[in-house]
Amino acid sequence: MAVVVMKRMGIYALKADRKKILERLQMENVIEVQTEKDSSEVFSKTDTSSAVQTFDRNIKLLDNAVEILDEYVESPKGLPAMFAGRKPISGSDFNKIEQRSQEVVKLASQLNKLQKEILENQSELLRLEGQIDSLLPWVNLDVSMRVSKTKSTKVFIGTFPNQISELEIKELLAHADVNGSELEIISEDEQQTCVFIVCSMEDGDRAEQALRAAGFAYPPSPSKIPPKQRLKELEQQMQVCRENISAAESEIKTFAQNRTDFLYTSDYFTARAEKYKVLGELWQSPHVFSLTGFVPEKKAQSLKNLLENKFGAFVEISDPLETDDVPVKLKNNLYSEPVEGVIAGYSLPQKGEIDPSSIMAIFYYVLFGMMLSDAGYGLIMVIACSIILAKCKNMEESMKGTFRMFLYCGITTVFWGAMFGSFFGDAVTVIAKTFFNRDMAIPALWFSPLDDPMRLLVFSLAFGVVHIFTGLAAGLYQFLKSKSYKDALYDVVFWYLLVGGLIVALLSTQMFAEMVNLSFILPQAVGNVALIIAGIAAIAIVATSGRESRSPYKRLLKGIYGLYNISGYLSDILSYSRLLALGLATGVIATVFNQMAAMVAGDGGVVGVILFSLVFIVGHVINLAINALGAYVHTNRLQYVEFFGKFYEGGGKPFKPFAGNTKYIKVTEEK
Amino acid sequence: MEFDINSLGTGLALLGAVLAALMAGIGSALGVGLAGQAAAGVVTEDPTLFGKVLVLQLLPGTQGIYGLLIGFITLTQIGILGGSPDVSFAKGLLYLFACLPMAFVGLISAKWQAKASVSSISMVAKRPDQFGKAMIFPAMVETYAVLALLISILSVTSIGGLNV
Repeated sequence: MAVVVMKRMGIYALKADRKKILERLQMENVIEVQTEKDSSEVFSKTDTSSAVQTFDRNIKLLDNAVEILDEYVESPKGLPAMFAGRKPISGSDFNKIEQRSQEVVKLASQLNKLQKEILENQSELLRLEGQIDSLLPWVNLDVSMRVSKTKSTKVFIGTFPNQISELEIKELLAHADVNGSELEIISEDEQQTCVFIVCSMEDGDRAEQALRAAGFAYPPSPSKIPPKQRLKELEQQMQVCRENISAAESEIKTFAQNRTDFLYTSDYFTARAEKYKVLGELWQSPHVFSLTGFVPEKKAQSLKNLLENKFGAFVEISDPLETDDVPVKLKNNLYSEPVEGVIAGYSLPQKGEIDPSSIMAIFYYVLFGMMLSDAGYGLIMVIACSIILAKCKNMEESMKGTFRMFLYCGITTVFWGAMFGSFFGDAVTVIAKTFFNRDMAIPALWFSPLDDPMRLLVFSLAFGVVHIFTGLAAGLYQFLKSKSYKDALYDVVFWYLLVGGLIVALLSTQMFAEMVNLSFILPQAVGNVALIIAGIAAIAIVATSGRESRSPYKRLLKGIYGLYNISGYLSDILSYSRLLALGLATGVIATVFNQMAAMVAGDGGVVGVILFSLVFIVGHVINLAINALGAYVHTNRLQYVEFFGKFYEGGGKPFKPFAGNTKYIKVTEEK
Repeated sequence: MEFDINSLGTGLALLGAVLAALMAGIGSALGVGLAGQAAAGVVTEDPTLFGKVLVLQLLPGTQGIYGLLIGFITLTQIGILGGSPDVSFAKGLLYLFACLPMAFVGLISAKWQAKASVSSISMVAKRPDQFGKAMIFPAMVETYAVLALLISILSVTSIGGLNV
């Protein structure tokens, strides 16, 4: 209905009361704090950023804790958060959360620590696995890998980087004049050969040279104990790690009952962080502080009384200054409030603009209904939205609005479906034919679009003209309200005359009447008059469109360019042909699915009924989803581009009252 | 046996129906796939955006449905579905031409709509509150698919009544 009138409020109070006042304001949820930029010598701001940071850290800790819990413990199933909304909590319960907050944070940090322990053990496990992998080729060696000599022999334990046979190594050693060696291949594969070679001490150096030349290398960091024992040791270590992990996991599970505590305490800190942010914005002197902000007019007086009586504050209410960037809040009734979300999706009204909700709501519902246009689908929407609205009372207001919007859209969908005789496409006909062998059909209250698409096209375009002209009317109202009568005449009335004149002229031509099967035709004289009016309007538009420019040439060029806008009107009106296209799409695809269902059903019987229902349900669910999405997107488009383009600019800043901004709980007033 | 050129009529009409479904379907498949890749990327970063990016991903999918629509109406009109097909050569050609706007515009608009969708998806990733606007950009491209659909529908449904 309207943009809520905002008042500017200044609050001046003792510093001793500042926390209590802020808490109260936060609970009231009606003031958007916007403190002034200028400072003076007496007043200064306190830096609260470190406190805010601490709170943010706590929030992160708690949110992490919930994430960890959800990883190991199945989170309690309930309604999705979208439907469930925030849990209302009384002020005294909130105080309890506050008292327990430190304790809960401690629990959360314990949980985080456990998670860290698990992660550490997991990476340790990986490391151990790697060690085992590199040890496996050596399992058959029964001495330590560190052995390099005995009293009279030299021992080589190491690897060749390729597959190499005993014979080849022996040859290698023989070439190097190594007399007598003992050689064992511990393991071999394509990438490496692990060997154990013993030779006499005096041949040691020569043997080493020869081996190294062939690529022999000692293993990195060999262990003191023989590989087999080492392997066992490593496996024991892995076992310990696994036990640690499972111990930590089961400990984490004991925290399951604290899940809500974590969520609520996280909210508590969010609210507190919010409060401290505002606290940092306040101008404070040693004993008093001041705060300015915007309050909806209706709430201003009661807030003033509350603050003055309860906290002894001085409150000043005034109209916003010319330079103020006043936040925008819309107020609507049940019929038009649901489309506020759509408007917010575009942009809220600027200063001086009207709230378009109430004029656009009816168009929104009707356009959506025309595009989906199936009584069955509409019925499903109505039922689903009603159930959700009835069951989920706790839902956020904006969410409720969305469902209410789809409820209304569902009603219009039923209406248009009945007009066009579509109930799940031609389901009645198909079912009657397949199972009862009878010819039956729901008669369309108006006509069936597939039989006469031209008629629906003309209706769609006519509806578009009404929509666009309503948009122009809203522009006219806006101009008149701001007393810019000239703009109203130049930018709205002339266009009315031009577009309206051309349409009337078109209706009087034989060709157009034949093309679209009109049942009437306007007399030639009316058409001529309309054409003359349109001509005058066109000249007027050329003369006035460039009125901002001084130079006459520029003015003329801008004027001609302004007239070119007529092509914009043409494409805007043609754009409404999507009403026909999308409406037909729903009906025809529904028909396709019905036919498919009838085909699989064959001659009926129980199996036939089951198969039929299966195809029918799946098909129509898909069709409903796709076409509801299409209807939603294109309704938005018609509103945003064709309708708003005529009068609405937007650019207002949404009203964000100082509140908790909590995610899980909603603090309600004490009873 | 004498060659009767009218025996080609049904084939030509079917070619039109099939082209509409085929090309528009290809366009949508490409488009939804392209947008899907972008959407999946966004969801890895922020799973809460799933609902929004899904809507944007689906936007280039409508051309395939419009193609199906034209294909189906044509099939019904020429009697392949529920009837006996009897289409003259001239009418067959007419059906073929009538299907072409949907076929070509469907293919190309779906592809370009997908590019707009991808950009809108990355826009929503950065500013989820601007979803309403992000949705409009791809929808602008779709207008032309809707216009093509319209011409195809009007043509296909009126050819039956022509006397050729």
